[in-house]
Amino acid sequence: MKRSLSFLPWLLALIVLAMLPELLPVKYYLHLSILALIWVIVAQGQNLIQGFTGYVSIVQAGFMGIGAYGSALLSLNLQWPLWATVAMAPVITALFALLTGYPSLRVKGHYFAIVTLAFNLIIVIVLVHYSELTKGEAGISNIPKPWGGSREAFYYLALVLASALTLLAALIARSRVGEILLAIRQNEDLVAAVGIAAWKYKLFAFVVSAMYAGLGGALYAHFQGFINPEIFGVAQSLDAILAVILGGAGTIAGPAIGAFLVVFLPELLRFADSFRLILYGLILVLATIFMPIGIVGIARSGFARMTGRGGQHGG
Amino acid sequence: MPNYKFMPNHTFTRACAALAMSLVCGASLAAEKKLTVGVADALTGGGAVYGLPQANAVKMAADEINVAGGIKVGPDVYKIDVIAYDDKANPTEATNAVRKLIDRDGVKYILGFCCSGSTSAVASFIRNEKAVMLVGNAAERSITTAKIPNLVRTRPPADYSGQAAGTFIARKGQKRIAVLGALDVGFYAQYVDSVERELKKAGGEIIAREIFSLKDRDMSPQLTKIRGLNPDAILVVGYVEPAAFVYRQAVELGMNIPRYGFTSGSEEQFLRVTTSEQMEGVWDLRPTELTLLSASKNGVAYHANYTKIFNASPSPSSPYAYDQLYALKAAVEAAGTVDNTEAVAKALRTIPVPPQVVMQYQPVDGKMFDSNGQAYTSNGAFQWQKGKWVFVEDLPSDSKAYSQFLSTLN
Repeated sequence: MKRSLSFLPWLLALIVLAMLPELLPVKYYLHLSILALIWVIVAQGQNLIQGFTGYVSIVQAGFMGIGAYGSALLSLNLQWPLWATVAMAPVITALFALLTGYPSLRVKGHYFAIVTLAFNLIIVIVLVHYSELTKGEAGISNIPKPWGGSREAFYYLALVLASALTLLAALIARSRVGEILLAIRQNEDLVAAVGIAAWKYKLFAFVVSAMYAGLGGALYAHFQGFINPEIFGVAQSLDAILAVILGGAGTIAGPAIGAFLVVFLPELLRFADSFRLILYGLILVLATIFMPIGIVGIARSGFARMTGRGGQHGG
Repeated sequence: MPNYKFMPNHTFTRACAALAMSLVCGASLAAEKKLTVGVADALTGGGAVYGLPQANAVKMAADEINVAGGIKVGPDVYKIDVIAYDDKANPTEATNAVRKLIDRDGVKYILGFCCSGSTSAVASFIRNEKAVMLVGNAAERSITTAKIPNLVRTRPPADYSGQAAGTFIARKGQKRIAVLGALDVGFYAQYVDSVERELKKAGGEIIAREIFSLKDRDMSPQLTKIRGLNPDAILVVGYVEPAAFVYRQAVELGMNIPRYGFTSGSEEQFLRVTTSEQMEGVWDLRPTELTLLSASKNGVAYHANYTKIFNASPSPSSPYAYDQLYALKAAVEAAGTVDNTEAVAKALRTIPVPPQVVMQYQPVDGKMFDSNGQAYTSNGAFQWQKGKWVFVEDLPSDSKAYSQFLSTLN
């Protein structure tokens, strides 16, 4: 596809998404769409560290939790304006990511995954046990919602933020930093051999990834009005990884598509009753085995086959 | 006899049944209306030991009410239809399930709610909905301290039972108690705090608070540590399965001391993990929930019907959900409307205890639910004797005093 026309699918998607509140007859689907847009932000962050840099991080939901609790507590305990608390959430998360990222990124591959998994567990344990501040497992209720809890208004907020952060991810991917991240994924030793301090770029990807998650968490908290540690467990971090894999790791459209899948698929499978999770698991296993390049990867291959041209990376 | 092992979505079956009935009965069904109630509960995962029996209990109550003529509102008769969705005891899933019930299915009355985290998530927004939420087994105290006008709960908060349990343990003469439980779960911690307050009054103390999580199965490290402290008794608070492992492993480690608990598991649920010999003598100090020996006439009938229909014994806490539907029926009939949820919610706080309920409620000022929307059952001491939970005695519980205390909390 010519670059001049490559924005057309995005424009079309944006138009459809902008019209969605009018198109949806049932507000339940709007509710799910808001959650999916929040997950688009989280998954785009995950994609920076997992898809572009090649480091599978299992702490994304933990970072969501830091953002969510940070924003909720600033709102409720210090009476900060809602917009200020949401803006602070990625900053707070970035601080934690800096502290955890530096030691984590000294190891590679499975070891990095395990270290980040441990961090997610620690975050949940702290949220559960530091109950004087977090109210433990009972959770925090009555978190302020913007615009009197209007779902339509929140939808557009989530859409604007998800679009802006997707654009930012695309800009990072196409910048020199993005190229170095890709190079790290391909051959980190070679990157070091040409004199580039790979650790700085890895840390950058990890911290930015966490900031995305922190913002997603804050939006979640102010959308739902309730948070507890259960929401930010390892299972949700695995959902972020799955969103990236299902959609297409190392692409920009992939995490967005994957985010909608991980939110909508379990809900659409409710007809299967108690077999729902088995079916969901089966679909994920089959998708991972037979579609390792994700939906975007397959679509690109199909398009390339039709036009007789190769796919373009990072779009 | 309806053949329903639990299948939450019976749309096709119901459609066929409705078609057949309409062919047989013709115009006689024309005046009959349908009231759809929703159930949001843990039908899968760790919370399903409580949630699935609750969902079954609501379906059973709906069937009984339908057979008995339905809900009468003025000239109309409403037959109850039940839609149940799984919330996996997860807050996000619970919110999604309830949003689906309200937004897509048009449900106004939502029952079930076995687990506190998922219940609190729904409670946080239900105030703004034209719907009524009836909470069952979820025991977190804060659910009914928020004064949500369209929410009521059939199960008393955990600390209401903990107070009675502490008095009982102190009376047994044990002074040094070691606690092992899901203390990261708020309402279990509240139960233990209440026990501790009562123990202290009698000169006793809690000497250890060891934690297990829902998925833990090997409790020997915690038990070994506790054994080293030489306690007079252990108190186990938590979900059935991990608690059962504690009881079993305590015996395997040779801990020959009294074992108290707060679990609400059925015999069948415990015997999946332990043997009856390993359970012998264990106390469960909890609301006077369903066991055959403590049951009223309604309770005995409930147990028999449930066992016949679902081919399994009901969990002791499952009648909390069964009673929800009878309370809702009474409130709808008292309010004289199914559409005005505000009126039905108000009526719920004024009705006396319906005669069909299974649990033994202690009404406050003659009403089933107090001004907080909270119902109270009596508390009881149950002991495992020769393969069965045996009701030994009532535990002293002052529902009116507790209700006043609850009103002072935010």
